[in-house]
Amino acid sequence: MTSILHGTRVLEVAFWTFVPAAGAILADWGADVLKVEHPETGDPQRGLATLGVMPGASGDGADFMIQFPNRGKRSIGIDLHTDEGRELIYRLAKTADVFLTNFLPDARTRMQIDVEHIRAANPNIIYVRGHGQGAKGPDATKGGYDGASFWARGGMGDTLRPADSDLPAGMRPAIGDVMGGLAIAAGISAALYQRERTGHAAVVDTSLLNTAMWQLQPDVVMSGVLGLDDIPRFANNTAANPLVGNYRTGDGRWIFLNMMESDRFWSDFCTHLGRTDLIDDERYRDAKVRADNRKACVAEITDTFASKSFAEWRDALETMEGVWAPVQKVPELYDDKQVIANGYLCPVTDAQGNDLSLVGAPVQFDEQPHQLTAAPEHGEHTDELMLELGYSWDEIIELKTSGAIL
Amino acid sequence: MTDLEPGTKLASVVCATEVVVIRAPSQPVEITCGGVAMVPADGPDAHSGTLGADATDSDNPTLLGKRYASDETGLELLCAKAGDGSLACNGTPLPIKGAKPLPSSD
Repeated sequence: MTSILHGTRVLEVAFWTFVPAAGAILADWGADVLKVEHPETGDPQRGLATLGVMPGASGDGADFMIQFPNRGKRSIGIDLHTDEGRELIYRLAKTADVFLTNFLPDARTRMQIDVEHIRAANPNIIYVRGHGQGAKGPDATKGGYDGASFWARGGMGDTLRPADSDLPAGMRPAIGDVMGGLAIAAGISAALYQRERTGHAAVVDTSLLNTAMWQLQPDVVMSGVLGLDDIPRFANNTAANPLVGNYRTGDGRWIFLNMMESDRFWSDFCTHLGRTDLIDDERYRDAKVRADNRKACVAEITDTFASKSFAEWRDALETMEGVWAPVQKVPELYDDKQVIANGYLCPVTDAQGNDLSLVGAPVQFDEQPHQLTAAPEHGEHTDELMLELGYSWDEIIELKTSGAIL
Repeated sequence: MTDLEPGTKLASVVCATEVVVIRAPSQPVEITCGGVAMVPADGPDAHSGTLGADATDSDNPTLLGKRYASDETGLELLCAKAGDGSLACNGTPLPIKGAKPLPSSD
């Protein structure tokens, strides 16, 4: 059991994926993460995958879009627009180490869950904010999803488009949110350590814009250093080293070669390719001449890869010394022997009895795979948490009757 | 049937169940617990009888703190005291209220 954060309580007032994904990572690591949801509507992400809103999702099976960013949490339904709801959130804040939110600044102020109010309840709480485009500046108060703040504004969509198209690359679901969540989780871990060491409780800020820039850092820095108006884009297999690139197999799949030090691997590569004739060919025998004759060299390798199927190449290259990889489709990850050996996919069963696998947080401790439980139902733990806080059933019924809690 | 408005407290005749009306129904309804019409919680008939032998009347004992809702009538009840009887509205079992996800887009 991974429990490095056992005994740490996180109070999460957040919607969608970006900030909840951080809570999910902390839950994977053993924290007690309390997800606060509106008693009536809940996290608007609920139903995203099952109501037919999301392209490709059929509505059958588990609500995977709520499951992956919320596994292992407890959910409490609180209406933060009510005085009683606020009193409750402050009572919860007193018991928490971390307050985690992606509500916009004006909503936090209106609901009185901004830094000042939460710190008034608990001066030692680490206050964590997920932003679209940062805590400062003219757009700090504006909303942002990863499609806008990370993918579009952050440069991802333009950077990842094919060289021969001006259409921005399409974004996969939550691809910026999950990275932003990872950044937040790292920030929280460091802030917890600082608080233990010095007693200072930090305000932690992460934005989707910053996360995109971090991911594109080589291009961002290069653009500044070289004074570029746009980043250079290359067609496949046009670089100087033919041993880095995608090659198509006979059945239309792809193998990616990743041999940076090509002189070290050339002979072994040719042997595994079944092309020992190329080893000492004066046009190809070292990196210099391969660069000079790259077009011909790539053509030789391309023709050879076309002669066998994807499965045959996977077998043939198994013992090759240099680094390569099959270009896998996502469903193939379920059968990847490394995924299985390391326990990267974690089975859970949701409240409806659907079995599904979630990807564990990409940091393991002491070589232990994560043991996950499914995401909570909307407000599932309201009564349990109210009783833990010391509310009597009469008080609970009163708060339920007024609508302050679920 | 008692006029139902938010805050009205009803008791079961045949078990310990008590409920609070959270949302009134859009039309008059009969609310039963354990197969017998519920009565005002402060009235003389509250908890005056015993649950009959009919199994369907006690299939789903009421659970403290749970909300029960009928989509057709808009009725919502909150269980303030648990009991052995099952709740029904116009003869139809009242299920525990589920989350109502809002359709959204990301």
